[in-house]
Amino acid sequence: MVVTGLGIVSPLGIGWEETWRAALAGRSGAGAITRFDASGLACRIACEVHGFEPEDFVDRRSARRMDRASQMAVAAGRLALDDAGLAITGDGARAGAVIATGNGGSESFEENHRALLERGAERSSPVMVPIMIVNMSAGHVSMQLGLRGPTTCVVTACASGNHAIADAVAAVQRGAADVMLAGGTEAGVTPFCMAGLDATRALSRRNDDPEGASRPYDSGRDGFVAAEGAGVLVLESLEHARDRGAQIVCELRGYGASADAYHLTDPEPSGRWQLAAMRQALATGGLAAEDVDYVNAHGTSTPAGDPVEVSAIRQLVGEERAPAVRVSSTKSMHGHGMGAAGGFETVLTALAIREGAIPPTINLGELDPACAGVDHVANEARRGPVRVALSNSFGFGGHNGVIALAAMEGG
Amino acid sequence: MTGAASNGGGGRARVAVTGIGVVSPLGIGREEMWRSASEGRSGAGLITLFDASDSPVRIACEAHGFDPSDFMDRRVARRMDRYAQFAVAAARMALADSGLAVDRDGEGIGAIIGNGGSGTISREEQHRVMLERGPDRVSPFAIPLSVANMGAGQVSMELGLRGPVTAVCTACAAGTDAIGTAVEAIRRGDARAMLAGGADSLISRYFVAGFDAMRVLSHRNDDPAGAARPFDRDRDGFLVGEAGAVLVLEPLEDARARGADVICEVAGYGASADAYHITDPDPSGVPQARAVSAAIQDAGLSPDQVDHVNAHGGASKPGDPAEVRVLQLALGEEAAARVTVSATKSMHGHCMGATGALEAAITALALREGVVPPTINLHEVDPACVGVDHVANASRRADMRAAMSTSFGLGGHNSALVLTRAEDGDRS
Repeated sequence: MVVTGLGIVSPLGIGWEETWRAALAGRSGAGAITRFDASGLACRIACEVHGFEPEDFVDRRSARRMDRASQMAVAAGRLALDDAGLAITGDGARAGAVIATGNGGSESFEENHRALLERGAERSSPVMVPIMIVNMSAGHVSMQLGLRGPTTCVVTACASGNHAIADAVAAVQRGAADVMLAGGTEAGVTPFCMAGLDATRALSRRNDDPEGASRPYDSGRDGFVAAEGAGVLVLESLEHARDRGAQIVCELRGYGASADAYHLTDPEPSGRWQLAAMRQALATGGLAAEDVDYVNAHGTSTPAGDPVEVSAIRQLVGEERAPAVRVSSTKSMHGHGMGAAGGFETVLTALAIREGAIPPTINLGELDPACAGVDHVANEARRGPVRVALSNSFGFGGHNGVIALAAMEGG
Repeated sequence: MTGAASNGGGGRARVAVTGIGVVSPLGIGREEMWRSASEGRSGAGLITLFDASDSPVRIACEAHGFDPSDFMDRRVARRMDRYAQFAVAAARMALADSGLAVDRDGEGIGAIIGNGGSGTISREEQHRVMLERGPDRVSPFAIPLSVANMGAGQVSMELGLRGPVTAVCTACAAGTDAIGTAVEAIRRGDARAMLAGGADSLISRYFVAGFDAMRVLSHRNDDPAGAARPFDRDRDGFLVGEAGAVLVLEPLEDARARGADVICEVAGYGASADAYHITDPDPSGVPQARAVSAAIQDAGLSPDQVDHVNAHGGASKPGDPAEVRVLQLALGEEAAARVTVSATKSMHGHCMGATGALEAAITALALREGVVPPTINLHEVDPACVGVDHVANASRRADMRAAMSTSFGLGGHNSALVLTRAEDGDRS
């Protein structure tokens, strides 16, 4: 399996080029919330996507019937297809999509529900259900791009994007499609989502310093910064890619999925099941732990979560090699994309391999001793070849999803 | 336990269904539900889950008599939306039915629980709290209660499953896609057993108003039991149902080795997309037929070997005839005319993200018992829906080897499963 196209709409930019430039420069995408009046909330910061015009990617009429999550998914899907140089011709029966999300059409639900409470059922809109259900981003990607192969949506909270990629790989490998678009989308910078996330005490409240708020592994971290956006990859078999003379970004070698079965919102503290997912990702890809030279970590910047993941990585590669394994959490820059996180981060991991550079964990001033023991790529990007990399995602509910990517051999 | 390791040997694993668990408008548990379905009972009634007195639609198919504390700790249940409680209850019953032991680690046993509308009851309640009393009054459980992955997450936590755990969400096709995806996980060797199905509880103010605004719901408020009438001339839409349905899937070889009672096999899965319209199916039927054909091909069968279809049958004016056309396209007109078709939604309503799983469970039991459950309320077949053998109003004995369950979801998701009868030696 190979990755042949990348599409991203993120707080760091629209399109992979802009996003990648910002990531290498170590820029933060965080700021005060502008999507709604957040003055009544304890957390008033987020990583928003600025300058996104849905009409650049879909006609105005279709865009009006889509939640922002679907608009961004279609945009990322279109960018990914263009990047892959792929034209969907004929009936599109051999191309499908798995587009994940954490929460679906959040803003549309809140608007329609408010209208229902205020004005009653007779004034309900016929799109109030289809605009907010979680599968509709996948549906719109299929409709807008003419994909008629297997088209599904997988939801695993903050791990959704990686599980979507895994399901898409399975669809190609079982012969149900030649090409799959896979990734995730989220547009949850809304009053209810922000109030709900804040109530779980997962969000940073560093309102006076948005750009310094997401600080994975730093002693001063106090939670994550919510982000919106979409990240989509084009996946196909190596043979199919070669036959059409495609440019190959990297190989998609393996995937791993496991569950903590431990707690609603906290990770299992030994990291054992995160480790199991990383091991499975390597095993399905025919790789060994010593091959790993970069981990794009889940690293959300929560006090409880960050040390568990570092411990799992150390267990994976062994104490001797761990200090040489480079780790960064790009959530320090683009925030926590939730359903889009796996899409964002697997796109950035693929670029790290192709471009030979590792984007940093910014705001890492004072390393929390509980997070030590690996080679943190702190504050500045690091140049140098990356051959095998993991992209980790772990979700509320205990869902673990890991993708293993590798440089194209001989390429 | 990796795909790479187990697929090296060539032939892929056959997948057995060894357990069924359901919470449904037709009853709680496999036996009660099957009795109602085979007797042609309706699960419809007036809405009691919210005050629907000012709603134009006041009927639905509710899962009456469901008490979460029969299946989980009361404290734990309070942190779950009703749909997640259904998922846990159905999964627990399915696991008990299968006799499969989950060891202390639960490694290699996963769960895929489909869902359509997330935890909408909790989400509506918490959003209302926020609007009326302010953001600082929102519960710390508001998000975990309302997201679509928590059915799967709670099943994993309650039963100790630590293999792949996800929610496949394709609207009305979610339960079917969840089972298909789990079958693939077993074939690839990613798991040694999977609990797969769906759970949804959308009998809420928001969803009933929203579906009604789409003009897809029946308005026959004075005759709830006669309201869901797929393929009938006088149909006027569906009834919202709620359910949780879970199957235990494992490699046939493993099921044999542990002497499990094999209910049936899941032999094929197919999926496609319409890429046509947000709510309407592609009227040509071509993309839907492709999913049906893919499932039959995946099962290694020819179209004329399909004996029975548990149809989607959403009782919509354009949808039902389109579905008959899909079967004619996929099976050929001759084979389609012989195939027995039932839309069990006439009894349990449209259980959304759970419906494909509930219908797969009914199809599995139909194969097992040699009985085709009926489409009730089918008094006069719409001339636009002729062309298949409708099993109207009363169940029918039949010697079946292969049966399908088809689902078509809002957004253009099409999926189909082919189930085959267990070999005599596998049944106990």
